[in-house]
Amino acid sequence: MALTGVEIFKLLPKTNCKKCGHPTCLAFAMKLAQRQASLDQCPDVSEEAKRILSEASAPPIRPVTFGVGDRVLKMGEEIVLFRHEKKFVNPTVFAVEIKDTDPEERINNTINDVLTSEIDRVGQKLRIDAIFINNSSGDPQRFEALVKTVSSKAPEVPLILGTTNPQSAEVALKIVADKRPILYGANKDNLEAMATIAKTYKVPLGVTGNGLEEISGLTEKIKAMGVEDMIIESSARSARQIIENNTLIRRSALKKNFKPLGYPVINLCQREDELLEALIGALGVMKYASIVVLSSAEKWKNLALFTLRQNIYTDPQVPMQVEQKIYKIGEPRPDSPLLITTNFSLTYFIVSGEIENSKVPSRLAVMDCEGLSVLTAWAAGKFTAAKIAQFIKDSGVENEISHRELIIPGYVAILSGAIEEKLPGWKVTVGPREANGIPAFLRQRMG
Amino acid sequence: MLIIGEKLSIIAKRVREAMLKRDKGPIQEIAKAQWQAGASMIDANIGPAEDGGESLMEWMVTTIQEAVPLPVCLDTTNYKAVEAGLKVHNNQWGRPLINSTSNDPERFPMLELAAKYNCQIIGLTVGKGGLPADAGERAAIAAEIMARAMEYGVPLEDLYLDPLVLQIATSQDHALKVIEAVKLFKEMNDPPMKTVVGLSNISNGCPKELRPIINKYYFLMLLDAGLDAAIADPKEMAEAMEERPLFEAVLAGKDIGDQRRAMVIKKTVDIIMGRTLYAHSYLEM
Amino acid sequence: MSYTAPKETYSGKIFEVTIGTERPVTFGGENVLPFHGFEGSIPHRPVIAYEIQDVPPDDWPETVKAVYNGVANDPVSWARFCEEKLNAKAIALRLIGTHPDRENRSSEEARKVVLEVLSAIKVPLIILGSNHVEKDSEVLVACAEAAKDKNCIIGKAQEGNYKTITAAAMAHNHKLIAMSELDINLSKQLNILITQMGFPKERLITDPMCSALGYGIEYTYSVMERIRLAALAQNDQVMQPPILGDVGTYVWKVKETQASEEEVPQWGSLKERSIAWEAVTAVAMLIAGAELLIMRHPEAVKAVERFIDELMQ
Repeated sequence: MALTGVEIFKLLPKTNCKKCGHPTCLAFAMKLAQRQASLDQCPDVSEEAKRILSEASAPPIRPVTFGVGDRVLKMGEEIVLFRHEKKFVNPTVFAVEIKDTDPEERINNTINDVLTSEIDRVGQKLRIDAIFINNSSGDPQRFEALVKTVSSKAPEVPLILGTTNPQSAEVALKIVADKRPILYGANKDNLEAMATIAKTYKVPLGVTGNGLEEISGLTEKIKAMGVEDMIIESSARSARQIIENNTLIRRSALKKNFKPLGYPVINLCQREDELLEALIGALGVMKYASIVVLSSAEKWKNLALFTLRQNIYTDPQVPMQVEQKIYKIGEPRPDSPLLITTNFSLTYFIVSGEIENSKVPSRLAVMDCEGLSVLTAWAAGKFTAAKIAQFIKDSGVENEISHRELIIPGYVAILSGAIEEKLPGWKVTVGPREANGIPAFLRQRMG
Repeated sequence: MLIIGEKLSIIAKRVREAMLKRDKGPIQEIAKAQWQAGASMIDANIGPAEDGGESLMEWMVTTIQEAVPLPVCLDTTNYKAVEAGLKVHNNQWGRPLINSTSNDPERFPMLELAAKYNCQIIGLTVGKGGLPADAGERAAIAAEIMARAMEYGVPLEDLYLDPLVLQIATSQDHALKVIEAVKLFKEMNDPPMKTVVGLSNISNGCPKELRPIINKYYFLMLLDAGLDAAIADPKEMAEAMEERPLFEAVLAGKDIGDQRRAMVIKKTVDIIMGRTLYAHSYLEM
Repeated sequence: MSYTAPKETYSGKIFEVTIGTERPVTFGGENVLPFHGFEGSIPHRPVIAYEIQDVPPDDWPETVKAVYNGVANDPVSWARFCEEKLNAKAIALRLIGTHPDRENRSSEEARKVVLEVLSAIKVPLIILGSNHVEKDSEVLVACAEAAKDKNCIIGKAQEGNYKTITAAAMAHNHKLIAMSELDINLSKQLNILITQMGFPKERLITDPMCSALGYGIEYTYSVMERIRLAALAQNDQVMQPPILGDVGTYVWKVKETQASEEEVPQWGSLKERSIAWEAVTAVAMLIAGAELLIMRHPEAVKAVERFIDELMQ
């Protein structure tokens, strides 16, 4: 259980010496509680306090990473059951499966699909994060061959080595251990061998069990052997099992501080039917999966899953923002309308969507208001006449258009006069208050 | 308990017009009424005031202090306007209060002014990265503001921490978090840090007749948590203080002989504590 | 340390709502969070209604318009197609043609369509206005009367027009959708106002306003989760009506259901993408708490039904 600021404070020297840069020990404790400071900033904390703090402040769901460099993937650290309580921390990892029994063409195509999966949405780069290499044949040689192929064709992509055969595990890790793959994994029959291998090669260990009671026993045994970085799979395949197991695991970890289930969860979501697979993957994203394994990486399926993940993992306290610039919607000409709004991503999507629906090509000037919507930005002094005028001047849009008319959102009609004052030669037209009035508004102007 | 009268705000139509026309009458009338109702400081909210903020703030400070023997709380994001106000402020009835600094770098220069003019300053516990999610996040921000105040040479005794009251109608779960934050803030220094809230924010967006009820009972709960100051309607605050014994009695389960008031208190406290979802008709349920 | 399942029980329960007369369907009634059957009871599976309109869907994207080629020129043939060929459990008739910015059809014309569709189908009917606050008042009152005693759903009552619409739904024994815009407190307030008029809360359906995947879905998702928590954990009765996810109308407006693969190669096949867009949006609504969905594309509906099968097995 993470300690509160006050609980941490009790372990500090309480001298208010200020050596940590904070005026009091309690102030420092508050920062520590938010993981915004480090205990070694305090030169006088006791060894005992250090020990208690590191153990007690361990997150209820263990942080586990795999992959290396700038492709490293983080899992765990979750602290809530519902996204409205606090931001979900580490977005679900998407992994695509390649089997060592797959024909060569499929292997190459899938690798290629993973390598070309990246898209950009709201300024974030989204992609298939990892490859799950399945030792379906059970044969170490075939596994080794596939691992070699994948790691040479896709050297940057983090890997999950899917085998329950310790021999296969060894040969694979000899090739790719330095990429820190997940060894997936251990079960009740191969536990000791796999745990030893994971420990030797210093890689996270995936653990599968039949149900939550069995999994709890397995992780405890493995931890006792000195392997702490684990991910767990509880044989949940159907949607019903996924929701039940993932929920009970998360609750156990968070509400009961039950350490044996305090690990990131991997869900195998493969289905024959691609669309159903997308839905099961979506379920994983919404219901606590740290890794979702898919059977293929179709672009349409990726787009839907990436978008859902981005949406579910949005911080409820921090609005998503789009880049400040003059967006072209359709093919606007010099005489096409120019509208302005704020850079709250939802505002942008809705307004640009309605402009598209109007079929009137336009320019949409999107101004950085720190992600606030129109009314909020105005009240906070971020969407003001002066700032709007400055933005329009700095944007250079005057060089692209033949007119000097700016359409402003209906809610800030009050700014018209002031904007016209600060933009000499410009006329301000007040647009509709609601975005869904935009199509009628724009079409009317066309005459 | 320092009551800072909130009524001289640019958001109020009559006040806005008086400011525009430089009409002293309404300004002084409202300042006096607040003073008589128990305010020990008057807030002058001129908004972002992009144009002419300096002369407006000067005019507000001098106009107010002509009418009432009170210090002024300078409420604007415009740095130059704050400085202009500080220059003409008459300190004989108390030092002015700058409203406010925060963890947003754009607001750091306010601390310079507090140090230079030796006045008090409100530190709003919010930064650039979005709203603080709970009391703990507010406390972490408070710690940063405190450290920064020390850097700028502002004594911690001159810093009032404001945990950012949000509207109960749209951010109900923050009502309780702010109460927790007030308790936390006070413990963050010895002697305890001072705390302040913009009280009426809690009822922003609620039906008019509910606002005084929510404001008063929220205020009493904050008072119990140790609140030192509030920017609020002095009349409402005076009523709240009168009602305080009844309020405490109801919370202690005693019969106060006034069914209706007891019901209103209980239901309002339920909403503040998050035990029932807020709706404008919550008293009728 | 041994494992015990941390199950939860709640003091509240979702109301059960039954619609239709000839082939009635029931939804709601669960006493747990969405699909948490392991700790309680879920007596009914969610219901998916097919959307039809009173005017041909000329503005629908090609992918979904093509499904209804030949039948969508007439609401009656469209409704029959959904019931007979698509095995619809319920039909939602959206009177979009009555919107003043569209065909501006009259309440009389709308009334006629409702009567015709009602006599052509056996499954329950959901009657939806065009979402124009003033016009809906008129239109829905007329249609509620036309559909008297057929146990339809009338929708949607909003803050600006709930009085007349509620009265009509009450007088003619229908169920009622109460819609507010992504605000849980306003949602509760609207439900309170409606029940204060004497309309039973057990006949209400809450619509917190759906949003498409990528276009605000997380707002709808969280409002729905919070409604369910208030209903179950706080036993907040006025939040215990079932929830509607009006999916199709929001999803088929967005770029991802319209841009061709040539325009955006990175987005892949248009047909599969647009169907997935509707299906994923629908599934998110179910997981957050919706018990009634209104959708358009049969492939999306089929996939969602299979998903529900897996959730309820």
